[in-house]
Amino acid sequence: MIASDSGQPPLTTSPLATQVYCLLLRGYPSAFRAEYGTQMAQVFRDCYLAEKRQGGLQRLTLFWFRTLLDFIRTLPLEHLESLGKENSTMKNLGRDAVAFLGCTGIILAAFLLLSYGRKHEASSILVFGYVLDALVVTGVIGNLIVFLLVKTTRLDAVRVALWTFLIVNGLPAIVLALIGSRIDPQFRTTATLVGYAASFLIWFGIHWAWSQTKARMQTAS
Amino acid sequence: MGKRTTRPKAQVEEFLPLTPAMFHILLALADRERHGYHIMQEVEERTEGKVRLGPGTLYGSIKRMLAAGWIEETEERPDADLDDERRRYYRLTNFGYRIASAEAERLERLVKSARVKKLLSKTQVSR
Repeated sequence: MIASDSGQPPLTTSPLATQVYCLLLRGYPSAFRAEYGTQMAQVFRDCYLAEKRQGGLQRLTLFWFRTLLDFIRTLPLEHLESLGKENSTMKNLGRDAVAFLGCTGIILAAFLLLSYGRKHEASSILVFGYVLDALVVTGVIGNLIVFLLVKTTRLDAVRVALWTFLIVNGLPAIVLALIGSRIDPQFRTTATLVGYAASFLIWFGIHWAWSQTKARMQTAS
Repeated sequence: MGKRTTRPKAQVEEFLPLTPAMFHILLALADRERHGYHIMQEVEERTEGKVRLGPGTLYGSIKRMLAAGWIEETEERPDADLDDERRRYYRLTNFGYRIASAEAERLERLVKSARVKKLLSKTQVSR
């Protein structure tokens, strides 16, 4: 099988054997074939030409036998791996969808409650209203940042959530505490701070609980 | 030698034992970067034709070792003038080198045990 590899003809003018092998390659998963198909055909052609140069029908028969054995042995392996990858991708997509819908649901519920409270001037939900207000605003911004960071970096999801919600809740809370009463004489500093603190605890708590659940689901599967 | 990754020994040994194909490929890449056909040639020469990797085994193993970070593709082409530009060259990463060393040490310990049990004579081992 040993041969020099300089001056190779292009794959398009390959011997019939290579074309037959290319047909066999169609049996492999498409992603594997797309990544390594050309390389495999090229290697096959090099080996085939080397065997042919060394001559003998027996050599070529043995070569084909080894190649078919290799094909039969590796085909199910590649399919199993590709199936495993698809399953894990689908599971991850499913979990992401649940997380997304959950966050959207919480934000919507908080927004509806807030709107109801404002419309009916329900004083009993005043502090609760501050919490809802913070929950909606920081929920939209914070979750978007967490989602983008988790998807585009390899940072730990819980740490990302911790720092993001700390910043998106902490910054407006500090700014409003400093200038809120100057802008609006009826501004309630304590209620605002309680609102942002509660919002931080709720959002970070949800992300922490979700990461624990996800880890358990991954271990179970 | 590619990526400089430092991982504890215990983490390296988690991957052992290697499949014969993987170990042969790592051995072929231990001294220099090679493309797929070169790897096949090296393995065949080194084992005096006893081990012949098929394309499926070769590229299946390469795929897994690339994903695990044991080997990496390299842009360097040793014989750029003579070579087919479609070929992809691979080389060991530092982590891959440590995996191959750990496997070689494991096999050495096995051979030593075989010698103690008188399954091998000293001359057979040194040959």
